[in-house]
Amino acid sequence: MFNTRSPAQLMSTWICALSVAWVGTFPAAEVAAQDGLPSHYAIENARLVRLTSPTIESGTIVVQNGIITAIGDNVQTPPGAWVIDGTGLTVYPGLIDGLSTLGMSAEDAPAPREGGPFGGGPPGRRGGGPDGPPPSQGPEDRPATFAWINAADRLELDDDEFRPWRAAGFTSALTAPSNGFFSGNAAIINLAGERPSDLVVTTSVAQRLNLNGGPGHRGYPSSQPGVFAYIKQYFSDAAHYRNANRLYNADPSGRERPTYDRALEGIMPVLGGTVPLLFPASTTTEMRRAMRISEQIGATPIIYGAHSAYRMVDELSSSRLLVSLDWPAAPEDGDPEADTSLDVLRHRLLAPTAPARLHESGVRFAFYSDGLEPKDVIGAARKAVEAGLPHDEAVEALSLGVARIFGVDDRLGALQEGFIANLVVADGDLLAEDTEVKMVFVDGQRFEIEEGDEDPKDEEEEEEEEDEEEAGPTDAELRELIGPSYRGPYRDDRVTVIQNATILTVTGGTIENGSILIRDGKIAEVGTDVSVPRGAHVIDATGRYVMPGIIDAHSHIAGGFNEGSVQVSSMTGVKDNLNPDDINIYRALAGGVTTINILHGSANPIGGKNAVIKLRWGSNGEALLLEGAPEGIKFALGENPKRGNEFPATRMGVMDIIRQAFIEAQQYQADWDDYNANGDDDDIPPRMDLEMEALTEILRGERLVHAHSYRQDEILQLIRLAEEFGFRIATFQHVLEGYKVAKEIAEHGAGASTFSDWWAYKMEAYDAIPYNAAIMVEKGVTVSINSDSNEEMRHLNEEAAKTMKWGGLSETEALSLITINPARQLGVDGSVGSIEVGKDADLVIYDRHPLDNFAVPQQTFVDGKLYFDIDADRERQRAIDAEKEALEGETERRIATDDQGEEGLDR
Amino acid sequence: MKAFTKSTVFALGAAVLFAAPIQAQTRTIAIVGGEIHTLTGPPIAVGTVVIEDGRITAVGASVRAPAGATIIDAAGLQVYPGMFDAFSQIGLGEVSAVDVTMDVTEGGDFNPHLAAATAIHPSSEHIPVTRANGVTHALAAPGAARGGIGGQATAIHLDGWTIEEMLIEQTVGLVMSFPSIQTRRCSTFGCFGPTGPFSEAEESYEDALDKVRGWFDDARRFQQAAQAGSTRRDLKMEAMVRVLDGEVPLLVLADQARDIRNAVGFAEEQDVRIVIVSGRDAWKEAEFLAEHDVPVLLRATQNVPANRDDPYHTTFSGPAKLHEAGVRFAMTGWASSGPNPPSRTLPYEAANAVAFGLPEEEAIKAITRYPAEILGLGDELGTIEAGKLANLIVTDGSPLQIRTQMLHVIINGNEVSLDNKHKELWEKYRARR
Repeated sequence: MFNTRSPAQLMSTWICALSVAWVGTFPAAEVAAQDGLPSHYAIENARLVRLTSPTIESGTIVVQNGIITAIGDNVQTPPGAWVIDGTGLTVYPGLIDGLSTLGMSAEDAPAPREGGPFGGGPPGRRGGGPDGPPPSQGPEDRPATFAWINAADRLELDDDEFRPWRAAGFTSALTAPSNGFFSGNAAIINLAGERPSDLVVTTSVAQRLNLNGGPGHRGYPSSQPGVFAYIKQYFSDAAHYRNANRLYNADPSGRERPTYDRALEGIMPVLGGTVPLLFPASTTTEMRRAMRISEQIGATPIIYGAHSAYRMVDELSSSRLLVSLDWPAAPEDGDPEADTSLDVLRHRLLAPTAPARLHESGVRFAFYSDGLEPKDVIGAARKAVEAGLPHDEAVEALSLGVARIFGVDDRLGALQEGFIANLVVADGDLLAEDTEVKMVFVDGQRFEIEEGDEDPKDEEEEEEEEDEEEAGPTDAELRELIGPSYRGPYRDDRVTVIQNATILTVTGGTIENGSILIRDGKIAEVGTDVSVPRGAHVIDATGRYVMPGIIDAHSHIAGGFNEGSVQVSSMTGVKDNLNPDDINIYRALAGGVTTINILHGSANPIGGKNAVIKLRWGSNGEALLLEGAPEGIKFALGENPKRGNEFPATRMGVMDIIRQAFIEAQQYQADWDDYNANGDDDDIPPRMDLEMEALTEILRGERLVHAHSYRQDEILQLIRLAEEFGFRIATFQHVLEGYKVAKEIAEHGAGASTFSDWWAYKMEAYDAIPYNAAIMVEKGVTVSINSDSNEEMRHLNEEAAKTMKWGGLSETEALSLITINPARQLGVDGSVGSIEVGKDADLVIYDRHPLDNFAVPQQTFVDGKLYFDIDADRERQRAIDAEKEALEGETERRIATDDQGEEGLDR
Repeated sequence: MKAFTKSTVFALGAAVLFAAPIQAQTRTIAIVGGEIHTLTGPPIAVGTVVIEDGRITAVGASVRAPAGATIIDAAGLQVYPGMFDAFSQIGLGEVSAVDVTMDVTEGGDFNPHLAAATAIHPSSEHIPVTRANGVTHALAAPGAARGGIGGQATAIHLDGWTIEEMLIEQTVGLVMSFPSIQTRRCSTFGCFGPTGPFSEAEESYEDALDKVRGWFDDARRFQQAAQAGSTRRDLKMEAMVRVLDGEVPLLVLADQARDIRNAVGFAEEQDVRIVIVSGRDAWKEAEFLAEHDVPVLLRATQNVPANRDDPYHTTFSGPAKLHEAGVRFAMTGWASSGPNPPSRTLPYEAANAVAFGLPEEEAIKAITRYPAEILGLGDELGTIEAGKLANLIVTDGSPLQIRTQMLHVIINGNEVSLDNKHKELWEKYRARR
């Protein structure tokens, strides 16, 4: 306890009551100044943690009219001030929650969503429902966008909500609505006041972005890449709107008026970079994507989440981050046999090191509570200190750091003369476990903290926790056990020679007892007489077979998705969804695959854009892309796109949607052509439309169409449609009845990428035959065998062998189906698909002929780097198993918990 | 076992004939001069197999073809037992996405009296397609709701005009899907969302298991009443009594390690025979399964590992692990994420296991002899021995190799046509100019 002495002349009944309260009990938890009475305070003999200046071990801070008017070790307490003896107390700047929904109504801060990950409705691609609003049909509907809303205008003052926060030392917060993709403008508020408007410190400090639409959102966008496409279109529209209005206002006479759009008005400050965009991202992939997309749209991001920052501090030097204090942790009532992945185990230990790493690298960051109970926030910050963040930096990340992020460090976040008098007074180190917050000041108003202000944990729970803590090694000790990353190549030699192998070049015959010289990632020499440069890594492949890395022309691993909410989702793309951490990449390398075509699913007639990647396991998203690969897009015909109840419900409708889309694209192109040819500087240009842009690229032959198809009729119809619009289908995918119209496919010049032997899983696959590939080859079609499966891609060599049994293809023809032919179909045969001098050193070494069912890939190279090695894999596996055992303690029997979620996009 | 009645083949159009079961011209066949993989001992380098009236009557190096026998010249070729897909839905479904063509899973969760035999479609296109690749017989298994008993699995020849001609054994076992402790919320859209509390999941599991126990308790009381002279009929209880009597095993679908252990524990508690079916995590429980001598009808190797950190080859190397531990197991096409439908490519599922350490002969046995033994059909099928049903294949190589051609397929003593829908379409469209 502490004592206060009050100047005797100010004794009044009110004070008497107060004095009683301080020595005994006082019914109200809060003590506020009343009208007519002085409202200034002096805390004397306290430790003052100023943050912007060195800490004063014993000094006085004076608060007057809501402002810190004096602070120092030699400050005179002004007459009339309430004097608080701060002996044994420490005063800190009031804590600021870096991101919250405090004061927001239920409407603006919705309860946790039910249903799928991107929409609020029940899972289902067309949404709607009898009671809800109609599903969004595209970006023009500005789905779940409330950018014009100001948090400051919608505050609801409920002191019951604020009290536990004050009890935990918080006096301010950034608050923003959180409903919708663009949920509105955030405000910095103080956590006490008479009226909502009293709370506002400053408004419109940031716009909050969410990657799900929240309750009520249905329709477009329904996938993460859909959201990103929407964001891009939205910002593009905003720029266009700004420009259109400028041009119109300069000369309105005789011109069509740009339609007022409050959503575009609301985002203008973000577009101009004056208001930052709160962008959610926690994994490295998400954070990189957030930075890239922010750059593309011209916004200044503040990334919130940021748990994986410890893995990529080097890339964050110019970033601003809000680090979530809701650290990843094992579930409380979890399955004791759950097989938690090593990545997750490591992440649980390492996420709290992110603040320390950010601090060391000088990255601007602060904390936010992210759904934690107020009483748990300090403990969560302490974890960051335990993980290496200097103590004072942790305090700063809860106060001044937040103020800096949002540009209010000229008034909040420090004990400094002139600053808003938001203080927290504790009986010791604020971050220490036993420290109690005694009082806080908000805008100079004092609030005493009493039992019950924060919900104390019951004792039983605390005991339990202590037991747990004592039981095992500390997190710091466990972190010592974490091994190196197991992603990335096993070897990266500048020069490698593979000797004494049977080389299946695919395009140049078979070389017995041959060698391959790899230099700087390229095939430098192939033959029986190959030089061995000094220092080369030499691999003796006696008895083994080398073939080109397998190319899978149809995959959904590492970033496949469906934006099935609209019939044309050409604005979306796999490149916005790449997931370089997908374990299927490594598994595919172990199956000899080196290049894949990641496609959008087949939910709609015109799907999203593709990405052709190399399986450079361990590389970041962008670095996976196969350089120079032509852009492509997915189409889908037949049963999948027509399986809704609405249009299209027939193949007629599917083809109509495609035809209508191209007619629209032609008009779009004509408008732009006209503007480009005839437009003046003061003419309003046409609106850029991402959906149409992709289609015009198809019309210009700049984007390859990969068309999911089954039946002969739809294949032929699409060929004729493409010819009508003057482009060529690059590949028919699946194309299970391709054998019936092989002649027409060959004449059109399309490729065919098919399954080896799937059939009868749906009606349109009932006439599928394993001879399909062979017939099409015979008829002159460029054919490939694809997997469309994270499993089948692991043995595409076997799938190719089936064409020898069913259809009588030769070994070379069979191998072509999974190497040079898919390379040709994807337009990347200049660099991959065969063993030829000058091509990328993407190679697989098998222990037997790859068309032998017992053959196992021994080594897989991408760009000359050894990404899979069967012996090194055993070591890797041992290391993973050992580390998991170490991190988890006793090895227990485990059951599977991985989500095999990428299956079922297609087929 | 049914014998074909001799009848004349009428002049049917070729397009109809190709898929039809072959009518035996003679009931005596001799396969002469091939290397015979009897699977009871070392191969007979050059030998003869004699088949009479559906059964193998003689096998050996010095056996001579009986007079009048139809001779199959197997010089330079290989003779193997026909392959057995020991857990499939063949004949019960045609086009998996078209509900009306599927007769796999009945409504309700307690249907022990339903038999696959009553819904098998002898003219399913799957049958000729499958047997053309050397799979001569299969178990057609009804589906079961999670925690339910789905019905009786039926062993069939992949040839015959009617189910009666196809039938090997109507009731090979009772298919049950064992309740599982699941902490993630799952729907038809897949599992998503955060994991729920384990204690709640465990409670639901106990409830589900209690329900199953109730069925067994009822069946036991029914059995006692019957033994005491009751003549009351109850089809479900009568089917259950066959399990209680040990006449047929429970074929229990269980994938997670814990489910496998729980299922075995339950069978021991109820003192009934059990075969684990699917058994995704069986490789983790190999010692346990060996110790309890519980056989496994293993799911397809062509699956991805269940967990991110599992060895990439888990599904391929699992069979070798079971073999080394001494677990009795067969390999099936069940739950293959590879070819669909999977029975045709059963040998390649086995081949993947050979690539990762299972001896080739064991892999072949795992799709011929072992499934027959596990399902109580070891006296009738699975090896080339006198007295057994004549289901065998003549090939130009190992049946596990894709490039091997199946040259003759003999089912129930008849050489069957290798024509099928696929081959017909191939020939038809290849000829298009």
